[in-house]
Amino acid sequence: MSGVDAMNTIDQEELRDAARRLLTDKVDRRAPWGEGEADGRALVRDMVELGWHLLTAPEELGGLGQSFTALAPIYEEMGRALAPATLADTMAALDVISLDDSVAGAALRDRLIEGSAHIVVAECGSLGPRIDTTFPLLEGGLAATHLLLLPTAAEESCGIVDLGREGVTATPVETWDRSRSFAELALHDAPCERLQVTGGVAIPLVRAHKDLAMAWDSLGAARRSLDETVTYMGTRQQFGRPIGSFQALKHRAADHKVTLELARALAVHASQAYALRDGAWSDLAAQARLLATDAFHAITEDSVQMHGGIGFTWEFDCHLFLKRALMSDILNGAPELVRDRISSSVIARALRRE
Amino acid sequence: MREDRKVTDLRVELRAWLAENVPKDWRTQQAGDNIEGFLASQREWLSRLVKGGYATPHWAPEWPGGGRSLAEQVAIFEEIARADAPRMSLFFVSLYHAAMTLMECGTPEQRARHLPAILKGEIWCQGFSEPNAGSDLASLRTRAERKGDRYIVSGQKIWSTLGQFADQCLLLVRTDNSGPKQVGITFLLMDMKSKGVQARPIKQITGDEEFAEIFLDEVEIPVENRVGEENEGWKVAQVTLSSERGLTLVELTERLALSLWRLVEAATANGHEIDRLDVEVRRRVVDIASRIEALRAMIATLMANRMAGREAVGDASIIKLAYARLSRDFTALGLRLRGMAAQRDTRYVLGAGYETGNWMFDFMNSYQYNIAGGSNEIQRNIVSERVLMMPREKLA
Repeated sequence: MSGVDAMNTIDQEELRDAARRLLTDKVDRRAPWGEGEADGRALVRDMVELGWHLLTAPEELGGLGQSFTALAPIYEEMGRALAPATLADTMAALDVISLDDSVAGAALRDRLIEGSAHIVVAECGSLGPRIDTTFPLLEGGLAATHLLLLPTAAEESCGIVDLGREGVTATPVETWDRSRSFAELALHDAPCERLQVTGGVAIPLVRAHKDLAMAWDSLGAARRSLDETVTYMGTRQQFGRPIGSFQALKHRAADHKVTLELARALAVHASQAYALRDGAWSDLAAQARLLATDAFHAITEDSVQMHGGIGFTWEFDCHLFLKRALMSDILNGAPELVRDRISSSVIARALRRE
Repeated sequence: MREDRKVTDLRVELRAWLAENVPKDWRTQQAGDNIEGFLASQREWLSRLVKGGYATPHWAPEWPGGGRSLAEQVAIFEEIARADAPRMSLFFVSLYHAAMTLMECGTPEQRARHLPAILKGEIWCQGFSEPNAGSDLASLRTRAERKGDRYIVSGQKIWSTLGQFADQCLLLVRTDNSGPKQVGITFLLMDMKSKGVQARPIKQITGDEEFAEIFLDEVEIPVENRVGEENEGWKVAQVTLSSERGLTLVELTERLALSLWRLVEAATANGHEIDRLDVEVRRRVVDIASRIEALRAMIATLMANRMAGREAVGDASIIKLAYARLSRDFTALGLRLRGMAAQRDTRYVLGAGYETGNWMFDFMNSYQYNIAGGSNEIQRNIVSERVLMMPREKLA
């Protein structure tokens, strides 16, 4: 079931095809599990070359003026390929910086459009002109050229740290999930320029964008994991028949398919709501993320079991998906905390009988 | 997605009509085990809907209220659910299964005899399932022997919705045993007052009697009451079974979504304030709410695909499974949150779907959606074999 998209001029399926071609060509998902390590920098350059970073940039600034729904198939394909790079922080930052009129904002916007800036986003407390803090685990921290800091104090304006300047050290960090690249980012007296846009405006936008990106990434990877598991169960023979013909396994696979399609339906709906900033877009994005990461987690956890002994080996790919899923679960806030964050407004909507 | 102007206009007109016409006290009227009250209020609701032109949007255009698009039909079901109006329980089989079967496969005489009667409240039931033919419907064994211009029918049917009140029955019988089981089935229209017909209500685990078994002892049915050719009733039955086109799930999901507040009510009933609810309870409410939103989105997509004629194999099974599981989890949570009070609350409202507000009743009743219309297990077979293309099991 694919979403109908009347908001964009570029066909979603064409974007999907282009993304799949590039990712099939450039991503070797096994590479970080052998001698190499996940380093998204080359892939980020490739994505910029294809102009993905321009998709949702405003037309008057040289962008393509598409809505968020143009990015959905790209995020989904990146999950499917277990892509080692992240695009979501940069694109979420663009949603914020498009609203900003400050000098620093305009300069960064130009560089984003030009494709020479890549952003990593972090929430923080209060901001001064110089920043002294360490972020122990930031996805995409190596590839990023700028750090966008979002103060949780609603009235305070956001800050930008140029990661190429003094006082910044980015050190790669190895994680169980090798399909992504993480860094520790240490800032010692690093200069921070202020934007006009406030944390109160920026945080909901960035969270929603990143929640949706995570939802699509998870859906893409979960579907791939389920497909590969189903294929395996169709070939593995025991007791003279493929194990995929046993109802005990088939029915579990069917249940995962239902969970996945349910999550996908909400992701489509929530992406359209975010694109239009319509209705409860902020809750819906979080809800879409919860259903998608839950489905991804459940599918990959069961995938190891459904493969049997071979699923428990390093050599087989089940653990690639499982480890990415366990990271996706908590990467932008543990699911319990996301539920807590939106529960008041979800309950309020229920009481209004919407 | 932008809605068609015609559909938007229909919603506006229908909302005004519903504000005037939904009986304010229908829940009280249908409360308790007063079956006469239930029948009377259902009849009254049907006649209002027919008069308003909203009972038959799916009928052919030459019929009053007919000729509406699927998008308009969906809108009608949604608005009726949103207005908290009663469901069409007693007349659903008449208006959908019987009427659509007759319109697509019946003779002009059969249509002339029954369609106007259905508008006036003729009640139909479905005589398909048998004690030994549930999920495997085609293995049915109720026998019909042709004698001149009549069939003589003997056997037993089960799970006929509200069959104890029915005037007429859509009946599947076996007329030939020699070939594959789908061949040799014949579709008949049976007057429930015929000699040899006995309908007995089945008491469910809820205490309600929403279904009947029908015993047939040498019942005579005129050959003119046959729909389609002899031994070709299986095809007709497919028309019957697809007649509601997903509208039931549209309605049930909308009613479920709009009763989410009952979960909050159940959680706060024991004097808890909403803001001080246990954090785990709040999380579970968020989870149910998210799945409801997802299901709504999924059904909207399914209906849009149906309208565009591009429904994929298995979509309906996926949705049915999602709804079935959600209906159980939703009611189980409500039951738990209501605590001891739910154990003591023994009143219920007939024909209300989810919204009885009686959590034990609703929880018990949720099994219905997990079994009827193809059990979860059958749906999982469909999803695994026809969507995921997993190897088939050898079937007898």
